[in-house]
Amino acid sequence: MKNKIHLIGNAHLDPIWLWRWQEGCGEVLQTFRSAVDRIKEYKGFIFTCSSVSYYKWVEEIDPELFEEIRKLVKKGKWVPVNGWWVQPDCNMPDAESFARQALYSQLYYHEKFGTICKTGYNVDSFGQNAMLPQFLNQGGMKCYVMMRPDKNENKEMPENLFWWDSPDGSRVLTYRIPTGYGESGINAIKNAISVMEERAENTGHGMMLFYGVGNHGGGPSKGDIEYLMNLMDEEGYEHIEFSSPDDFFNENCTGLFDVPSWGDEMQHHASGCYSATGLVKQLNRKAENWLVSAEKWNSVAARISNLPAATKAFGDAWKEVCFNQFHDILCGCSIMEAYDDVRDAMGYAMTIAAKEENKAMLKIAGFVNTWLDGVSDTVSCNERHHCRNLNFPRPVIVFNPLSYEVENAVRTYHPSARVTDCDGNDVLFQNVRSSRSNDSHLDTEFIAKVPALGYATYWLWHADSDVGEFEKPASSLKCDGLTIENKFIKVAFDEATGGISSIINKEDGSEYIGGETCIPTVVDNSKPDTWAHNIFKFDTTIGTMKLDSIEVVENGDARIVVRTKHVYNGSYLKQDFILAENSKVLRVKCKSLWQEDLTILKMPVTLTGNNPISTYEIPGAYIKRPCNGEEEPALTWGDVTADGKGLAIISDSKYSYDCIGNTLRLTLIRNCIFADHYSDRPAADFNYTDEGISRYEYAIYPHSGEAENSGIQRIAAAFNARLVAIPVGYHKGTMPLRESFISIDKENVALMSFKFCEDGSGDAVIRVRETNGKRTKCAIVCDILDAGFWSDFRPFEIKTFRINAEGYVTETNFLEGVTD
Amino acid sequence: MPYKLKDHICRFCKMFALDDAAVPKALFEAEAVKPDLKGFPYPLPSKKSDYSCSVKIGNIEWFGASNGLTRYDSEAERYEDIVMYFSAPRDLLDNNIKALLPEGENLWVLTDTGVTFIEMRMVGAEEKADILRAESEKYVDRRGMKSQKHLREGRNLDSILPYGHSDNDGCFTATYAMGELFRYAVYKKEKGAEHPDTLLARKYALRSTEATLLLAHITGRGDGFVARTYLCPDEPVPDDGIFFRKNGDTAVCLETTCSKEWDCVGAEIYCGAPIPERLSKLYTDLGYSHDGIVYKADTSSDEITTHFLFFKFVHDILGAEDPELDKIVIDTCKGLMNHIIDNGYILRDFTGKATSWAKWNEEYFVTDYGYVDACLNSSEVLMYHLVTMDITGEKGKWLESYEHLINDRHYDDYAAKHFDRLFQCSIAGEFEFTEDIMYGDHMLACLSYFGLGILEKDPVRLEKYRNGFRSWRTSLEREHNPGYDLPFKIACPDDEIDFEALATWFYRTNASRLAAGVSLTSRHDVAVKTLQAGNKEISVLLPPDERFISKYDRNPVALVNEDSGGITCVESAYVYGYAYWMGRYYGFFE
Repeated sequence: MKNKIHLIGNAHLDPIWLWRWQEGCGEVLQTFRSAVDRIKEYKGFIFTCSSVSYYKWVEEIDPELFEEIRKLVKKGKWVPVNGWWVQPDCNMPDAESFARQALYSQLYYHEKFGTICKTGYNVDSFGQNAMLPQFLNQGGMKCYVMMRPDKNENKEMPENLFWWDSPDGSRVLTYRIPTGYGESGINAIKNAISVMEERAENTGHGMMLFYGVGNHGGGPSKGDIEYLMNLMDEEGYEHIEFSSPDDFFNENCTGLFDVPSWGDEMQHHASGCYSATGLVKQLNRKAENWLVSAEKWNSVAARISNLPAATKAFGDAWKEVCFNQFHDILCGCSIMEAYDDVRDAMGYAMTIAAKEENKAMLKIAGFVNTWLDGVSDTVSCNERHHCRNLNFPRPVIVFNPLSYEVENAVRTYHPSARVTDCDGNDVLFQNVRSSRSNDSHLDTEFIAKVPALGYATYWLWHADSDVGEFEKPASSLKCDGLTIENKFIKVAFDEATGGISSIINKEDGSEYIGGETCIPTVVDNSKPDTWAHNIFKFDTTIGTMKLDSIEVVENGDARIVVRTKHVYNGSYLKQDFILAENSKVLRVKCKSLWQEDLTILKMPVTLTGNNPISTYEIPGAYIKRPCNGEEEPALTWGDVTADGKGLAIISDSKYSYDCIGNTLRLTLIRNCIFADHYSDRPAADFNYTDEGISRYEYAIYPHSGEAENSGIQRIAAAFNARLVAIPVGYHKGTMPLRESFISIDKENVALMSFKFCEDGSGDAVIRVRETNGKRTKCAIVCDILDAGFWSDFRPFEIKTFRINAEGYVTETNFLEGVTD
Repeated sequence: MPYKLKDHICRFCKMFALDDAAVPKALFEAEAVKPDLKGFPYPLPSKKSDYSCSVKIGNIEWFGASNGLTRYDSEAERYEDIVMYFSAPRDLLDNNIKALLPEGENLWVLTDTGVTFIEMRMVGAEEKADILRAESEKYVDRRGMKSQKHLREGRNLDSILPYGHSDNDGCFTATYAMGELFRYAVYKKEKGAEHPDTLLARKYALRSTEATLLLAHITGRGDGFVARTYLCPDEPVPDDGIFFRKNGDTAVCLETTCSKEWDCVGAEIYCGAPIPERLSKLYTDLGYSHDGIVYKADTSSDEITTHFLFFKFVHDILGAEDPELDKIVIDTCKGLMNHIIDNGYILRDFTGKATSWAKWNEEYFVTDYGYVDACLNSSEVLMYHLVTMDITGEKGKWLESYEHLINDRHYDDYAAKHFDRLFQCSIAGEFEFTEDIMYGDHMLACLSYFGLGILEKDPVRLEKYRNGFRSWRTSLEREHNPGYDLPFKIACPDDEIDFEALATWFYRTNASRLAAGVSLTSRHDVAVKTLQAGNKEISVLLPPDERFISKYDRNPVALVNEDSGGITCVESAYVYGYAYWMGRYYGFFE
């Protein structure tokens, strides 16, 4: 008896790629219609299809067709797979995004089809982060189908069927497609069957053969199906049958055979995709952070006031983000016009975040007792708004969305004469150049310290107020020529290159810089296509940007700013190196005009020491990789460590690094032709993915010890999810001037999200994760929910808790217990 | 460097009736001071609004609620000790706290149905071992066997029932014996052979050792077959398996539900093989003869695995000083090993077939059950071979069989596949893999890989066995059970274990094995998780004194109490003694 070949009829659908989403939507409708027709025509034929966003289109536009599909799902003729909104890129979305991919999708499947997907399915995604098994398990999926990287790109990974483990202990039974996801035509299918038969014989287990026209949809053709049906009627082909991934896994799980296991990420395919089209990356990072923060504040406000929970609005926003994490979108390899749509969709999502966050913060602020006796008497018609009230300080409430205390600089858009905290202590501030040209031209930056998921009130006297004499807090900031320092670090700039020649970490007193640092490097990108197919290193340097100017533009108590401008042909990069009081990082605010076709701009930092190891944040964890120059995907930070010292680069919008020896480089810009597939470039006036003006930030963090033990996770999170300062009015209230709503007592456990359950029960949902790769027990105290509980965590484990009105807690998963 | 286990607070709770004269009247008049818990920095076992009374004794605050008592020590050295929970029936008669009254450092607690006096006493880890051993020797012992005993009256140890057996008497008694053997070896080295503590340790070690060895001879079959347990003629025969009553040279199968199902009531089997007198004295000294003794058959691999590792430590620790005993051990070991090899790697029951759960043969490994069991069972039987070679000093048949299992049957390759196969089954069965764990198998895995880890010298094979142990860590690690973690560290010395978590286990284990349960379901500070197949767990491993008391064979994060009888059961102290004295014997603890 031969091991079975499971024929998986499918149509790979790219909703955006070489076309815009409107065409993708049409392609979905046509493909679904066709698949329904084939099911009706051919007895035994089964169609497999992923991605909730496609089903939702069909439901909205062609409800009759959708109804037919529902019936076929019940009969097992149509098999939905992948409980995610799309087949996303699997390197750049953060852990919360993967949670939302599952949440909204599996709940949709559950509502419409009465079941959730048991099989994850990303047959085209360009690489697989090491935490996917946990994301799949938490979304209700224990089995997984993937294809990339292929055998030529990664020879070490197991083939066919294998166990894939993530560091938290989750695992998925994984099938790596050995041929392609869309075999079509008699010869192609015939060849694929031969390959599968051989593998089934050698492995001792069944195999899946994916057939059907794909990419732009289509699905199995009549010819394909009839060929297969005829074949199945022939003697000797009893082992071939129409099937689905679910049936394949079910059948093989009951088999008595052993398969290999794999406990690492699966890279690399399309190494250029972590950097191409910076716009979509920036939008993704910003939207992820903003939605998470805004929903936390909405949840707090809804809990303490009559503000309704905006669960549906956030769902709508997240669905846009999830859609735009589709691999060909987030990877930056679609056509130029598609990114207009992406910008609009992400703008829609972020507008929801902005509106809900603002409503929530003002609602919370309304409960804070900011009243000062006598304040109402002083407001005259000439002092209509509080910022001009010169007799009293103006209350500004600073909100911290993270689950630990954060001390960082915040900005308000007026100059100040004095700033105090809610206990009356003076705090460091500085009037800094604003972005406007009218009025005073000055904003206030002050150093705020805000408790975990909470707020703190600060009092700002307007610059025109007579504040009399007061003792300013001491500042450790010093500036000596092009050398600047605070109590943590001392940084020296090179006058000739504009780069950093020295960073002393005052914790250990030693030098961290061992070579070229912050001198922007231009790398050739003429050979790789947009994806960089079959290219894994971007290492052909064609020049460095030349220093045009360097100057100290601010030197105050709260911060020092050194500004450099580098030029290269007609392009420039301006960098403001900002060292703030009490900051362990050197923040760099960048503005670039890039006009260099087919080039890459990289920002290097070079560490001293020997035997370097690079460490990168990946979704829900960090990972160590060799310093071999290969381009690597990462989320908010990358790090190189040697001999007990490390330099990390933190980014607010970039996802791509390389590390060669001791030099870690952040890829700032990768300027490709849009959707340049295999560099087939007929002469044309091309548009480029990353030309023009862009603004972004990165930071350099010198630290002792291993990256994971340096606090980088918290610092990078605070760099991306920043404190928000809201000027408020004077009013009486029931809440104190400083408050924390949820706190966690262990540094390595972080709050991911705080929301309300999707089932409308009013139960709260909080999601928490371990960040340091260590088993931990922690206390989670949620006074706002009248709850507090202990929990154990495995390394990098994510836990989702549902808390009822009485404060009793159940542990669920990404699906919030709604589908139980 | 050994880890220093310090003296640590231990809870002692004494219950009184409401009208007991010992209860101070002031308790009934104590003012209920509702605590102000706003901003309390830690999770609390009760809802804040449910706390109705409080007292402060030094730095310690006690809060009473309708579902139990909370102790708060803001200056506690250990994280787990900051907030402690006391609940019924372990610590209180019921959970509705009415009033609290300090008495010195101690506390009187008034609840609906009675009064509890709570004393938090400093107890050393070794002192706790002494207390627990004394309890087991006095109340649990049944002719040297140490499993558990039941009480006529709840909480009243003096109302102990004289009889009562366990399905795995041999397994639990052998583990108890190993703990006492380790203790004896430690005392002998540290205090000298003639020290009273050493002599006492030897006495107890010998008693449980002889009781364990007796089970390998009690059947009188003479073929190495080990009984699960045995009963004297005046003990009631429970209806939970296959039992034979001995009479002369013939034993007859008794009528039970199981024997009727198997259609073997009245089946006869030879039982005339001699029993070493030193062992049979355990019942003959009580006035019983061989006739009328009832033994339990259908023995499982649990018994056999524990016996083999036990053989190793009896031989190592007592062999040289007690040649008679050593000969019995070696002969018993050889007899059992011969039985297994000669019967094609099964334990052959009276039916001529394998018992239900003692199969180490390849035929079993390709069945649905055996497919998952193969990884553990193959390692078990390899361990048996290494122990036999080690204590007999012989190779011959044992080595030939060992090499056969490895070279021809590749038994060493099964070890690391445990988790894969368990997980595979969980997908097929649509449950979480933790829901399919036989928690008793945890101990068997630890015993097997412990033995393999200390006895295998071939580096390639040793690494395979270590990988097998590591595979089991997937489910073992979360328990932080020193009885599992220390053997792991011994077998895999380069791997890390969490000694702080183990210290918590020793510190927070109650000084009694009365199996009174705890109130978990109403706790406000633990999250409950419903697994795929419906089983419920909590999201945190609580200290042992806040979870149910059991042997090593239960899920310690199960939501419901999985003890063996609550307030009417007292468990063997092997759980503590085996782990503690192993730690001392191997130099992990001071």
